[in-house]
Amino acid sequence: MSAFDFAPAIALLPFVSFLVALFGGQYLPKKGAFAGIAATAGSLILSAWVAVTVAGGETYNEALYTFTAGLDTFSLHLGILIDPLTALMLLIVSFIALLVHVFSLGYMNDEGETGLPRYYAGLGLFTASMLGFVFADNILMAFMFFELVGLCSYLLIGFNFREEGPPSAAKKAFLVTRFGDYFFLIGVVGIFVTFGTGVFAGEHSFAVMAEHAINGEVAEPIQQTLDALGVGVQTWFTILGLLVLGGVMGKSAQFPLHTWLPDAMEGPTPVSALIHAATMVAAGVYLVARMYGFYVLTPTTMAIIALVGGFTALFAATMGVVKQELKQVLAYSTISQYGYMMLALGSGGYIAAVFHLTTHAVFKALLFLGAGAVIIAMHHEENMWEMGGLKDKMPVTYWSFLAGSLALAGIVPFAGFWSKDEVLYEALIHGFGTEGGLGTVFLVAYAMGLLAVFFTGFYTFRMVYLTFHGEPRTETARKPHGVRWNVKGPLAVLGILATTIGFINLTPVKKLLGPEIDFLHKWLAGEEGSGWEALATGYHHYEGLLHDGPAHVLVGEPLGADGTLIASAAVSLGLAVAGVLAARSLYKVPEPVEHTNKLGSIKTLLMHNYYQDEYQVWLATGFTYPISRAADKFDQGVVDGVVNGISSVSLFSGSRIRKIQTGVVSNYAFFITVALVVLLVVFGIQGGWF
Amino acid sequence: MIPTQYYLLLSAAVFCIGVFGVLTRRNALVFLMSVELILNAANINLVAFSLQYGNLSGQVFSLFTMALAAAEVAVGLGIVLVLYRNFSDVDVTEATTMRW
Repeated sequence: MSAFDFAPAIALLPFVSFLVALFGGQYLPKKGAFAGIAATAGSLILSAWVAVTVAGGETYNEALYTFTAGLDTFSLHLGILIDPLTALMLLIVSFIALLVHVFSLGYMNDEGETGLPRYYAGLGLFTASMLGFVFADNILMAFMFFELVGLCSYLLIGFNFREEGPPSAAKKAFLVTRFGDYFFLIGVVGIFVTFGTGVFAGEHSFAVMAEHAINGEVAEPIQQTLDALGVGVQTWFTILGLLVLGGVMGKSAQFPLHTWLPDAMEGPTPVSALIHAATMVAAGVYLVARMYGFYVLTPTTMAIIALVGGFTALFAATMGVVKQELKQVLAYSTISQYGYMMLALGSGGYIAAVFHLTTHAVFKALLFLGAGAVIIAMHHEENMWEMGGLKDKMPVTYWSFLAGSLALAGIVPFAGFWSKDEVLYEALIHGFGTEGGLGTVFLVAYAMGLLAVFFTGFYTFRMVYLTFHGEPRTETARKPHGVRWNVKGPLAVLGILATTIGFINLTPVKKLLGPEIDFLHKWLAGEEGSGWEALATGYHHYEGLLHDGPAHVLVGEPLGADGTLIASAAVSLGLAVAGVLAARSLYKVPEPVEHTNKLGSIKTLLMHNYYQDEYQVWLATGFTYPISRAADKFDQGVVDGVVNGISSVSLFSGSRIRKIQTGVVSNYAFFITVALVVLLVVFGIQGGWF
Repeated sequence: MIPTQYYLLLSAAVFCIGVFGVLTRRNALVFLMSVELILNAANINLVAFSLQYGNLSGQVFSLFTMALAAAEVAVGLGIVLVLYRNFSDVDVTEATTMRW
């Protein structure tokens, strides 16, 4: 009896809790919360068991259910792929989901919200879809669960559907991510058509087939596709990669499809925590990591991923600087942090990206749950200028929030420092080592990421000082509402983790001092000669492709190995500390004022989010709408016109010809007789009777 | 023995009279009679050919035709009766309500 036999249950348990909460939530104590807690706890235990089994060197890659068997062509199936990456992500998702369920007891039940069965059903389905997405063994299954995740985010963001904001935000999240998913779907179809399979891992995976094709051994079906399209291998794989990347950019809120995420703050705060830390937004980055073997083959895609990531990191961080609402600041920090992950993936820092995904899941969940606690205390007031001085009134929240903030800002030794430093370090050394335009792109992306570190430190601590320090600025802040164990518990757990989880991958320490303590690195690389190598999803495999593949990503260390490492860490830490100190000097005063007003027109620009929404709305109303009007005209006029024209011919001729139906029997008899005579004459002439 | 051609001529004449009746008369009862004539023209044909070839099938067949004609008259008279009830007349050109 292996742990892998129970793997489907990891996703099925939350699905069952979805059904229980949906149909029986009204009659259960706490409206279905306990079902969700039990289910996610079960998932967490099973995930841990799976992780232990994976640590023993076993992997799993099986097709479980074929729902469309193809004759002489590919089949579509559901299956499970479990390798160390999957195992890690399963742990993260089920762990965060469990804490979010517990926290919801305090945030939703204790606050007397209505419609709770619907809420817990949504959480259950959300968790189930994400877990299903994580262990999907082929890209079609991944796409299906990707869409389910999007649906659940729609349901949960729009939870308070009687108010004006949430339904609108839910629709926006749904439509913007769907815009990206549209490209993803085309990419999935393209991959199936080209490779005849969508499997992620193993000898017959599309990534391995693409690798052979790039190396010159183009298989017959792939060659046929290329001939039909008239493009080269490299070009076509780049197009496929970019199409799938469309879905990634929508879900992971990368520029320019990030606009849905700040609006998604309309949802309940625990949902925001779940969306940002573990489920929806993480799905995009996870997908790139999942098919990394395919992405490393095309340097153009790598460059685009790195550039988009670096730009998003900087771009979102600058907007976070001026926001007035607690959750808005966190929203922009999420966009920015996922930008770092994309930067790492694009610049060949696969482990750095997964590391940052892990630490970010912990500290972002912590910050959102902390923000939730503050919002409970403030009677659902979210504007930071209405807060202040909460430090002494809610110490558990303050200290855990501070741990999360230090992690987000990237201050040593908190989790975020180690992961963000590794992201930037990888981008830097690959930027110097790689020749040609790709290296330059990495360096540009690195520079943007580095600059964003300063802004991250600044906005994070502006948020901390405005919320918790100084004098209370309102009556509510003077007498905050208390929070119970179900809020403090998850915060304490996450606070400890945000402080310590960086220690799972102390690569810089290992490189400088020598002890083998880069556990995540070992985890993702796998042991030599284990069964995992056959799956071709390990870091060793990717490393080889990075070095010897078309991208030729090499390591360059201008200041020597140790010097570069120390310099990189020192620069990023220095910038982070500078940001924190700047925030401290401006906002750690009893009566802080809005210094951002001094920015003048820049502040207006930032408050309007660089007019991203405006131009996207313009694109919709000024560009897409006229086109669809024209298409509608064409449809109504030309297509319907032809159909209506044909039918009007029938109608007209029918209305004329029906006149011969007189209803008089004699006339019919006459026609019959005449027809008979004509028939006889014709037969006679044909048969030669005359 | 009378040659078969004469029978056929008689049959054709009876048939034409029947068709003429169907085409020109408006009375439904005359219609029925004309249809009887057409049927009997066919019967004469069958019997004549039966005689010609010494095969009794034609005569048997004409017996069936007679039975059929009897049934047809029963149904036809029923229709005529309903026609009269609905239109107070047996003129077939009156009953034109079931067209477009």
